[in-house]
Order: sequence, then C-alpha cells, then structure tokens
Amino acid sequence: MEGVKKVAVIGSGTMGAGIAQVSIQNGYSSILYDIDHQQLANAKAQVFQRLDRLVKKGRISDEESIQAKENLRVTTDLKNLKEADLVIEAAPEILDIKTSIFQELTAICSSETIFATNTSSLSITEIAGYIQDPSRLAGLHFFNPAPLMPLVEIVQGISTNQATIHRLKDFAEKIHKYPVVCRDTPGFIVNRVARPFYNEALKILNDQVASVEQIDRIMKKSGGFKMGPFELQDLIGIDINFATTKTVYSSFFGENRFRPHYYQERMVQAGRLGRKTEGGFYDYASTEH
Amino acid sequence: MIMPQLNISIIGRNRVAESIFTLLNHDSYESASLNNDSQLARADLIIETENLERHEKINNLKRIDGLGSRGATILTSTLQWTATEIASWLTHPERLVGFGGFDDVNQSQLIEMAPGLQTEPQHVQLVKDQLKLMGKETEVVEDEAGLVYPRILSLIINEAIFALAEGTASAEDIDIAMKKGTNYPEGPLEWAERIGVDNVYAVLNGLYRQLGEERYRPASLLRKLVYAGWTGKASGKGLYHYEQQRLNRSRDYQNV
Repeated sequence: MEGVKKVAVIGSGTMGAGIAQVSIQNGYSSILYDIDHQQLANAKAQVFQRLDRLVKKGRISDEESIQAKENLRVTTDLKNLKEADLVIEAAPEILDIKTSIFQELTAICSSETIFATNTSSLSITEIAGYIQDPSRLAGLHFFNPAPLMPLVEIVQGISTNQATIHRLKDFAEKIHKYPVVCRDTPGFIVNRVARPFYNEALKILNDQVASVEQIDRIMKKSGGFKMGPFELQDLIGIDINFATTKTVYSSFFGENRFRPHYYQERMVQAGRLGRKTEGGFYDYASTEH
Repeated sequence: MIMPQLNISIIGRNRVAESIFTLLNHDSYESASLNNDSQLARADLIIETENLERHEKINNLKRIDGLGSRGATILTSTLQWTATEIASWLTHPERLVGFGGFDDVNQSQLIEMAPGLQTEPQHVQLVKDQLKLMGKETEVVEDEAGLVYPRILSLIINEAIFALAEGTASAEDIDIAMKKGTNYPEGPLEWAERIGVDNVYAVLNGLYRQLGEERYRPASLLRKLVYAGWTGKASGKGLYHYEQQRLNRSRDYQNV
C-alpha cells in the first residue's frame, strides 16, 4: 500500500485549521472541509496569516510559504474529498456528527482511504462500529496548538488493523511529529496519566496542606516541571480541565483514581476559569497596570 | 552575620543520605558524618532518611533518641509516615521536623519541610537556616505523608504503571507522550527508575494507609517490582526490563 499523498481535514475550528496548517507546511496537498462557508473563509485567512508571520520571523522562507498556501484548498462539499488518502476528522465532539460524516465518506472515498478522528473523549472503537470497514479507522489525536505541539497519539480501536497504524505512523513522522501508539482506552495516554498532576494538587490544596503558590513553586523547583498545576490550569482553562477529568472519570465507570474534585467545580461555578476570564487560581487583570 | 557551623550527623543508607553528605562535603563542611553512631552525641542536627522499612525507621529514631543530645534537632524524611507519627517514637518529640527526602538533593533547588503537631518553631528555623546555607530554598507545608512533590509525582507514576500493565502503550511511548504532549521534564517511567520504584511505592503505601482511599492503591505491578527487586537504576533492572521480559516470555510461550 502506498503512503499518504492527499489529505482531507474535516472541521475548520482551532484544531482542524491547525492540523491543515501542519499538513500543507509539510508538502501535503490538503483540502479543508466545513459546512459553514464563513468559518471556512476565516480559517483559511487565519492559516495564511500564521504562515506570513512565520516568514516574517524567519522560520520559513517565502517560497515555502507560497508552496504551503498552494497546497491548501477549502470546500463545503464532502464530494470534493473523493481523492483523499487520509481523512482527519476534527468536527465537534458529538458522536452523531462524527459517525454521519464517516458514513457519507465511506461512499465517496476509495476503499483504501484511511479515516482518522482527532477525538479526545470518544471511543475509537465506537465510532468505527458505524462504518462498513472499521479496520481503516483509527484515532489521530493532536494537541493544541497543533502546529506547535510535537506529539500525536495514534489510537488503535479494537477493529483497527496494523496497516492503518503503520500508515498513520509514517504520516505523523513526515509532518515532523512524535507518534505514540496506544490502545483505545479512556484519556489515551496523556489525558489519563496527567490527571493526578491536577487532581492531587487540588486535593492537597483543599486539605490545607499547602497553598496554590506553594504547590506551584514546589512542583517547579523540586520536581523540575516547567509550570505548576495551578498556573497550568489557568492557562488551559479550568472549565476545560474539569471537563476532561469528568470525561475520563465517567469513561472508566467511576474509577476512584479519577474522581473530579468539587473545588475545581466551585471555580467553574464562580466563573473563575483562568487567564481567559482574567482570574482563576491567580489574578491576571491587575498585572496589566 | 557569621553563623557557627553546625555539627551534622546523617543516618540512612540510600541516595538521599549520600547526596546530602556529598553536598556538605562539597561545601568543605568539616563537621558532618554519615552513618557514624559515635558522632551522634556531638550533633546539633541529625538527618535521618529511611523511607522503606518501618522497623528500620523506628530503629534509627530510637538510636538517635538514645545516643544524640536531647536538644539536637532531628530532620527526618516523611514519605511513608507523618512527622507527627515519627515524633511520637521519641522521648523528646518537639525537636523533630519532616522533609521530602525523595530525590537526590542535588536534583532539587527547593526542599519541602513539615513540622509535626508537636514540633517547636525554633527547630524549623534551624533547619531552614541550614538548608539556606546549603543553597536550598525551602517551603514549610502541613504534615502529610509524601508532602507535595513526592505525593503528586508518585500518583502520576502509579497511573503510568497501571497503563503499562494494561498494555495501553509501550513504556517508551508512555514516556515520550508525557514529555512531548504535556512538557514533563522526564517521562514518568524513566523518572520512577531514577528515583527508585521502591521510594514511589513507599509514598503510595503511606498515603493508602494514612488516608485509606482507593486512589492511592499502588498498582499490582508496582508491588511486584518491589518484591522482585526491580526498583530501577540503582538495582540495574526496572520497568523497561520488566517490559522486555514480558515481550520475551510471550514469545517463548508461543514457541512451546
């Protein structure tokens, strides 16, 4: 089986646009799909703007930027994805949306096209169960922001075959990412193994063992972490972090190790979501003045 | 202000004890000894670092209690037991301070300390001043087994070991994922091998017993590694060795 040549990306939100950018910058002719015209136009403009900025910063040459821009097409018609060897779906995290897209694509694309979903919370095996040939579907989980974060998790559903995993691994290396392969388990690797970094810090805080500032300082200066658990929650968004924990907890059917902390929910209820609301575990507004 | 050099005795047969001794020697500290009971009577500060065996820890503290001067400050690692519990083994419990003796001290810019309920503040101050002389920042936190960094890191490592045991991904991929996906300075499994799987087990076991919650239960594989003596770099075998052996075995058994 040949390597991937043409890539399609479904969904032009932050992740979709980021994945498309990585793809075109690494020489893949790519088509970005969205149902919403305006959203698609905005995404394209945003990608072009980022490429221009990379040229200005001297990270890529003028020619590279021009070539990358030529590699990108956008469409609102799924039929135009006919020639894709690889479809990466980054639609909203709603099962029905994802499965109906893949069902339509099964009829449009070749019988050798690989279907990859960028889901972080749904089961790969479940999504694959809705299409005729589940062996060609796998998870391809990028991290936000996709152009900068060097990791992709390749997730093998129960029915995914080895050839699909090999082709995705090869693609991930060609776009200069570090691919890791994991079974279809809740939270895959990163979102699962990182849970205690936040969850246990919250428990230590709530039990009055140490303060927010102390815990962050200790994790950085004793542990060598680049950011403390509370600074990092403020950056990610406390609501986003809380939602991830809830998903992992429920996907493990209530495994005690993943139980969310009520204090994190209180922060969300208070609207203190982190940097984006100018206040989370730390205050940000005052530092501007 | 010139402070008189404290006489320091270190008791413990692990890397924490050795690294403190090395650090003091590096600063051409003249009055430090390692595992020398005859020096205990002269010591102003006695540092004790046993993390694994309870009877060994009790034995160390009783010896220090008997041989050391009654006014000496005792700094003891509190990974598996609280400072309050350890202090209760002493005839003069008010002089005991806990600390996070987990890693080689040269790896850490900052040392966490925790006074027990019985501890008097001048002993905390003495330890803080001494650590400052040794170039370390300090944070004083409340007394709980595993303090902050050993506790959080041990839970991360435990989760990575659960994932490895379940065959979620290879050891190498788990380590790469955490370094490249969320910027950890080391992968949790290689980190465990460096610190010692037995030290991680000590923290989890302590929390599991103190707090009685399921979330602290050490992974079965973690226990088995401790029994097998596959505790990481110090023993020459660890999690990566386990994984290789698992692969070899499944191949061998298939060939039978």
